[in-house]
This record gives sequence, structure tokens and C-alpha cells, in this order.
Amino acid sequence: MLERIVRWARRKSPWILHFNSGGCNGCDIEILDLLTPRYDVERLGILKEASPRHADVLLCTGPVTRQSRDRLRRIYEQIPAPKWVVAVGSCSCSGGVFRDGYNVLGGIDQVLPVDVYVPGCPCRPEALIDGLARLLEMI
Amino acid sequence: MTEWLSVLFALLVFPGFGFLLACALAFQWIDRRVEARLQGRVGPPWFQPLADLIKLLAKEDVLPVGANEIACAALPMVSLAAVLTAALYIPVGGWVARTFEGDLIVVLFLLSIPALAYFLAGWLSVSVYSVVGGSRSLLQFFSYEVPFLMALSGPAILSGSWSISRIAAQQSQAVWLALVQPLGFLLALVGLIGKLKRSPFDIPKAKSEIVAGPLTEFSGRKLALWHLTMHIQMVVGIFLLVNLFLGGSDVGVTIPGVLIFGIKALFILLMLSVASALYARLRIDQLANIGWRVLAPLALAQMLATIWIGGG
Repeated sequence: MLERIVRWARRKSPWILHFNSGGCNGCDIEILDLLTPRYDVERLGILKEASPRHADVLLCTGPVTRQSRDRLRRIYEQIPAPKWVVAVGSCSCSGGVFRDGYNVLGGIDQVLPVDVYVPGCPCRPEALIDGLARLLEMI
Repeated sequence: MTEWLSVLFALLVFPGFGFLLACALAFQWIDRRVEARLQGRVGPPWFQPLADLIKLLAKEDVLPVGANEIACAALPMVSLAAVLTAALYIPVGGWVARTFEGDLIVVLFLLSIPALAYFLAGWLSVSVYSVVGGSRSLLQFFSYEVPFLMALSGPAILSGSWSISRIAAQQSQAVWLALVQPLGFLLALVGLIGKLKRSPFDIPKAKSEIVAGPLTEFSGRKLALWHLTMHIQMVVGIFLLVNLFLGGSDVGVTIPGVLIFGIKALFILLMLSVASALYARLRIDQLANIGWRVLAPLALAQMLATIWIGGG
């Protein structure tokens, strides 16, 4: 019973933290679109938090570069469990056009366990909402 | 035996923890919803504050190495206890758990404990952002607290009593003090926004500058307690203003007192939400300037005028 209540609460209140590990900033603008009147993800209880300690879901954009790998891992470790990772955009799903670059490791899944992939360059806000809804179903 | 039961009832159900928790969740939802509607959004569903609270309570609790663990666990509990204790002296719908001459001063002191605990929390959790936020919160405390106290002393001087329930009862026979002292009411409202660290005075927890201020390193249960403290403090502050300036629950009117009290509390909540949707955040030096150059002299003039005309 208690477990069901907790699972309900987690599904209804995912607070997101957004990290760009080396992308072109296109997907980041699409993420900010989610908070505007047109899409308003606060309907789903989603809030954008600034501190990893407060967050539940890590939204990653961009490919992982050698520079940002350690920082990405560190931020993931700072989020208290239970936590989920969403890879936003083609670059963070697979590395995208940067895939074979000398300084690029590839997608987010090279470093962190990814729960949901949202492809697109940049992905549309509707696709992002769909991806988050799929994540909430998984929880 | 029955006396013990009534004490327990007052502490845990009404007007203690249960009632305040329900009010805090409801007020938070109304606040977020009104702000969203003013921005052209839809806003969260009604159960959102409850879901947030349960989720935070069930989350892992981590602190960085080097943070003072005992203090970081005790501070949110102490501030929550102080706010809950303050609520016992505030009449709700014409019913009050405890009252004595001078309880207004006690309530004001109890309500300033969370501000100090907030500063200490920032200081003791090792993080640059929380230290900056903590020092900002202390500076903000010195800016709003003086005009706030002077504004709240207006009704007390005019009624010749420092008991909240007596001030409220006197107004139900005469006229609301917000009509006699509109300036004092406005100053108290601005001071309350500063006390609750709400936008436009959310300087200590400015999201786009210093992450989350003193609460940056808090997570899980401790963060849930902090949020609960803030929201119950909002309820207590609103109830305090209703009693001091809007006549509490007018005794002797045919409509039940609780209903009138609720409508007045919602009115003040609406003003807070509109203020936070309308105005952008100030800088800390701007707030200190306004606090000491505008608000404090106005509050002083208001107080002197009250003593000269009314109190005698």
C-alpha cells in the first residue's frame, strides 16, 4: 500500500535537471519551450530544478565529450536515488553528427544508463513530452 | 484525562499539525495555479503539493562530506517546530488554542527562528552557493524585519493590547484596521513577502544565480521538511495579517466565522500570488536600499502617527 502511494507520488512529481554535455544548444532551447504557456509541463507536475540534489530526472543534451564525461558522471552521482536519465536529441542518443570526432565519446549511454531516448535534431517539444510521459509510465 | 485529550487535539489536529498541513498544501496549490493562470499557463493539478511532499519524503537523503550532519538534520525540525508553535497563538475562525497578553511578540519571535535556521543551514552545508545564499538571507532578514515589526505594532498600539485575539476581537466591533492604516497593511504585506522569501524577494534562493541558495545541498526528507516549513510559515503569516488588519472572523455576523476567515485569508494569498507573478526579482542591494530608505521611514512615520492620534 505504502509502496503504491510512493510510486504514485514519484510518477506525479518528476523534477528535472538539465545538463548539456557538449551540444549545439538547439535541444536546450526546445527544453525551455516546455516551460512556456504553449506546452506548460507543470500540468504533469514537472518542475525544472537548478540543484542536482533536488532532481529526479536528468535531461541530457548533446554528445559526451572527453572534457565533460567526468562532470556528467559527477552530476549523475549527486542526484539522490531513485533517478532516471533521458537522452534528448540525436547527439545524446548516438553522438549524431559529432559521432566520429576526435574528442567525442558518443551518446550518453556510453557513460550513464539511459532510460528513454528522444531523437530529433533538435527534437520537437511534443516529442519531449511524449518521451517524459513514457518515462513516467515506466516508473 | 479530557484536558490531555484536548491538548493533544489542539497540537495534532486543529489548529495544530493536521489543519496546518492541509492549509499549507491547499494554499500552495492555489498559489501555483493562480500564478500559472496569470502567465497564461494551465498550472498543476490539485494533488500536486501532496505528490511533491510524498516523493521528497521517500527519496534518498544525502549530504556532502564535511557538512555538519546533526545540525543539518536538526535545523529543519527546529524551524518547523517554531512555526507550528506560533500557529497555536493565532485565532482561526474565532477559535484559539492558547492566548495571553503579549502573544503577538512571542509569535513574531517564533516566526523569525526559521530565517536564522535558514542562514545556518546555508552556512553548515559546505557549498559556495549555500554560503552566498545564507549571507543573502541574513541581509534580507535585516531589511524586511524592522519595517515588518513596526507595521505590525500599529494595530497593537491602536487597540491598546498585544494579544492577537484581542486585537482581532476589537476590530469586529469597530472598523477593520486595514482601512484605518492602509499604509501599515501594505508594509506588513511587503514584509511578509520578504519573510516568506517569495518572488520578488526570493533573493536568497535565486534559481538563476545561486542554484537553490542555502537549500542547494539538501535532499530527500530534509528538503521536504524545509519546504513544509516554508509553506506552513506562509499559512501562519497570512492568518496573522488577517487577524491584525482584516478583523479576523467578525464575531456576531450571521455567516459562520470560519468561512469569513477563509475568504479573507484567500484574499491575502491572492495578493501574494499576483505580486510574485507581476514583479521580477530584485537584487540584494536594491532590497536593502528599499528596506532602509523607503519601508523603514514609512513604517516609522506610520507608527508615530498612530501613537500621536490613536494610542495617546
